[in-house]
Amino acid sequence: MFSISVNIYRQLLLLYPASHRQVFGEEMIAVFGAMQAETASKGVVARSLFCVREAAGVVTGALLEHWRALGGDPVWPTFPIRRFTMRTEFRFPKATAVLMTIILAGVMVAIKQGEAIVASVPHVSEAVGTIHPVHSVFLGGIMLTLAFFYAVGLIGWAILFAMRRSGVHRLAETSAGPK
Amino acid sequence: MSLEAIMEFLPLTEPVLLILLSLAGQPRHGYSILKDVERMSDGRVVLSTGTLYGALRRLLDEEWIERFEEQDSSRGRQAYRLTPQGRRNLRLEVGRMKHLTRLASLRITGKEA
Repeated sequence: MFSISVNIYRQLLLLYPASHRQVFGEEMIAVFGAMQAETASKGVVARSLFCVREAAGVVTGALLEHWRALGGDPVWPTFPIRRFTMRTEFRFPKATAVLMTIILAGVMVAIKQGEAIVASVPHVSEAVGTIHPVHSVFLGGIMLTLAFFYAVGLIGWAILFAMRRSGVHRLAETSAGPK
Repeated sequence: MSLEAIMEFLPLTEPVLLILLSLAGQPRHGYSILKDVERMSDGRVVLSTGTLYGALRRLLDEEWIERFEEQDSSRGRQAYRLTPQGRRNLRLEVGRMKHLTRLASLRITGKEA
């Protein structure tokens, strides 16, 4: 369950502009394969982190590359690293919500682009016969997976909140001045 | 590239600084860079392949690094190395950081004394 196969990673790379894929595509797949082989022997948590990090890295990287291709100011990639830095104020849910919204917007743009490409390509080829588009099934699966993990995250946070371990209560009890 | 143009890129983000430091010692291929960055940061910075190749793309565009085919690799693996300009810029950034830490040490020591 907690693994991204090389084939799925290859599909995720379709989110990148073609020019980036042509230069770095095979290299990225080779590096991903090596990282995946290394992570395979580790526990579920390590494999889950790897999976989330790679998926987030591809989506963020693809968005930055599209931004660059559109003539936007280049941005140094900074995400993701292993730790989140907790600030004095509780910011994690807001940052996560914004990030997930950006990622969702990126996925939606990619879906629309994919549909436009399918519409522009003839579905019947003399060499290979009828071509059946499968991207909608694949993307539907991604959306379901995203919804599943979002629901799991919400439930987990609700449990932590009920146990008073989410950090909200501790921050509320923290006084700003000296004791 | 003028000094003003270089200063526009500074300060570098931690992942980019670590990537450049990784290439400062020797040329490396992608997987080797990832592992070296993780090792240098004691496991604190773990880059995804997307983040790594985003940074490499920009460093290539700015000619801070260059890409070449490894001679001793049967698979024709691509590797990366610092250009003289990249090395000079890295020195500038490290110098900037040294100045900052020296200043910080002086101020902190002055406050504690």
